[in-house]
Amino acid sequence: MHPQVILHSFGYLTQAAGTTLAISLAGIALGFVIGAAVCIARLSREAWLARLGGVYVSVFRGVPLLVLLLFIYYFLAKFGVDVPALAAAIGGLALSSGAYQAEILRGALAATPPGQAEAAVALGFSGVEVWRRILLPQALRISIPPLINEFILLLKASSLVSVVGIAELTRVSMNIASLTYRPLEAYVGGALFYLAINLCLAALGALTERRLAGERG
Amino acid sequence: MDLEVLWRYAPSLLSGFGVTVMCWSAGGALGLVLGFVIALLYRLRLAPLRWLLRVFIEVFRGTPFLVQLFLLYAGGPYIGLKLSATTAGVLGLGLYSSAYFAEIFRGGFAAVPVGQIEAAMSVGMKPFDVLWRVTLPSALIAAVPPIVNMLIVLSKETVVLSIITVPELMYQMQTMAAETFTAFDAIFAMAAFYWLLVEGVSRLGARLEARVTAFMAEEARPA
Amino acid sequence: MIEIRALHKRFGAHEVLSGVDLTVGHSEVVCLIGPSGSGKSTLLRCVNFLESYDAGDVRIAGKLIGYEDASDGTRRPMGARNLREMRREIGMVFQHFNLWPHMSALHNVAEPLRRVRGLPAAEAEERARAMLKRVGLSDKAAAYPSHLSGGQQQRVAIARALAMQPRLMLFDEPTSALDPELVGEVLEVMKSLAAEGMTMLIVTHEMGFAAHVADRIAFIDAGRIVEQGPPRHVFHESAEPRVRQFLQTYHDRNSF
Repeated sequence: MHPQVILHSFGYLTQAAGTTLAISLAGIALGFVIGAAVCIARLSREAWLARLGGVYVSVFRGVPLLVLLLFIYYFLAKFGVDVPALAAAIGGLALSSGAYQAEILRGALAATPPGQAEAAVALGFSGVEVWRRILLPQALRISIPPLINEFILLLKASSLVSVVGIAELTRVSMNIASLTYRPLEAYVGGALFYLAINLCLAALGALTERRLAGERG
Repeated sequence: MDLEVLWRYAPSLLSGFGVTVMCWSAGGALGLVLGFVIALLYRLRLAPLRWLLRVFIEVFRGTPFLVQLFLLYAGGPYIGLKLSATTAGVLGLGLYSSAYFAEIFRGGFAAVPVGQIEAAMSVGMKPFDVLWRVTLPSALIAAVPPIVNMLIVLSKETVVLSIITVPELMYQMQTMAAETFTAFDAIFAMAAFYWLLVEGVSRLGARLEARVTAFMAEEARPA
Repeated sequence: MIEIRALHKRFGAHEVLSGVDLTVGHSEVVCLIGPSGSGKSTLLRCVNFLESYDAGDVRIAGKLIGYEDASDGTRRPMGARNLREMRREIGMVFQHFNLWPHMSALHNVAEPLRRVRGLPAAEAEERARAMLKRVGLSDKAAAYPSHLSGGQQQRVAIARALAMQPRLMLFDEPTSALDPELVGEVLEVMKSLAAEGMTMLIVTHEMGFAAHVADRIAFIDAGRIVEQGPPRHVFHESAEPRVRQFLQTYHDRNSF
């Protein structure tokens, strides 16, 4: 074991970790927009829209991320669109995450006690106001812990974008491995970085859950 | 999609599918057994053992599956573990899923209502009988839905094995695509195939879950 | 049969039982009543050592439970095997029935007979059937708990405890979790047990039952037994202010 390999490549790994975080953040943010849209579609009164939302969730949860990433890559290539790998990567992560986030939001909305909306209507709130002031804030609150969990999952899934050549944590580990002929140390190094990030996120998740639980009493 | 191409490659695609199923079931079985053992050992309440198990679980849940595979396949030889790609793949799936299954089993144990255990203690049952006849059945039944879920997740993870050249379905598809310049069609077919597979298995899983949980419904219905 | 002397128990900083003295004689039916948080369930659970106690004695037919007094005066926790043996002689019925959901009613009753008394399967089943008949549920032997009403589940739980042929039975608010219409069928079974001479210690809110079936009522408040005696004495002649206050709220709610 040559731990100095990790020490020498610390700078590269840190930079790569930053890339991983950035990609994951972009992915989850875009995924949130997609997820919210799909969730709204699913709850729509228009049957076709609800159906479409359901199909989206089914497809993008059913297709493995690796397949999706390569699909986007080749799809764009086929139609001659020269999109940088980065866009394909973030797009793939977002499309996939969007399906899971749609379900998280749907679950959160279902978890808000219906009695509260009823009370608001009885008091004379308009439909939009019930949404904005009562349902939405609560649904968002409930969805924060599972969303943090989703971010952790996304971060791990981002390792797959290494196959389209993006210099994130896994790819850089691979590079270090082939340059130094020490794959063990290289991948342990990468793994340690992932672990560190995930432990921080898990702690954040636990903290948020406690705070939210305390507020709800 | 050129059907002639598909026909020519049918044997290799079928073989790839076979490898996928084999890896998934072997990896899943390994993960279930290992995860169960870990959950049982955890119940022993030995602090140093628990610490070790916790580290294992956190490492395999906190790092990407791909990195774990690389470690096993590329890094393995440096600690005396010379594994073929497929062996590394199955082992990887097994270790990865065992961490999740361990937590699922732990949750199952925790979900057994204390009252049932108290009832067993109050008639003077031996600890082994309490575990075997009261705790385990309840815990295992409670664990079925999350286990089904995880097995579905695992089936999707098998595609990652293609990156370390395990000749499963994705790998065969990519080989075919490269050799016949039908990348887009091939990937599209893969996506469709996996979607159908996962959708189908999910529905079966949901039915199985419904059967099992109805059996264990806690609330008494009025006679 | 049960001798409780100077019993003390605390949960953390909170003292739940502050010096309880209680005896239950052979074939006696004693009901424990009192406000919530008074410690009545804890007291009951100390009798079969589902809760440990910090000071005092709990003796079943003269034998100390949960601890062993060594000859040099020190007290040690009782061995697991001895505790199990003592528990075999004590039947317990819980507020939430605690039937095992993956076993039919028959198997719920037969299981302790097989595992604890070591009876062969056929004999255990025969005895279980007899017990189910005793509580009026012969036709539900093959039913699973999730298909039984609360009252039926509780009766199966009573059958399960009875099948072990215990010397005494403990009841922890046996009807508190039941719909009002289902309470009666459980109380009937308990009444018949009392008539047969079973020694029973019951924590309950059913004042009517207590008044008619109990030989003695003990009122417990804030970890102490404040009033004891025959039902007529406790319900109508007690001068203790807490007792009167407690019973007053009952009268107010139950007279219509």
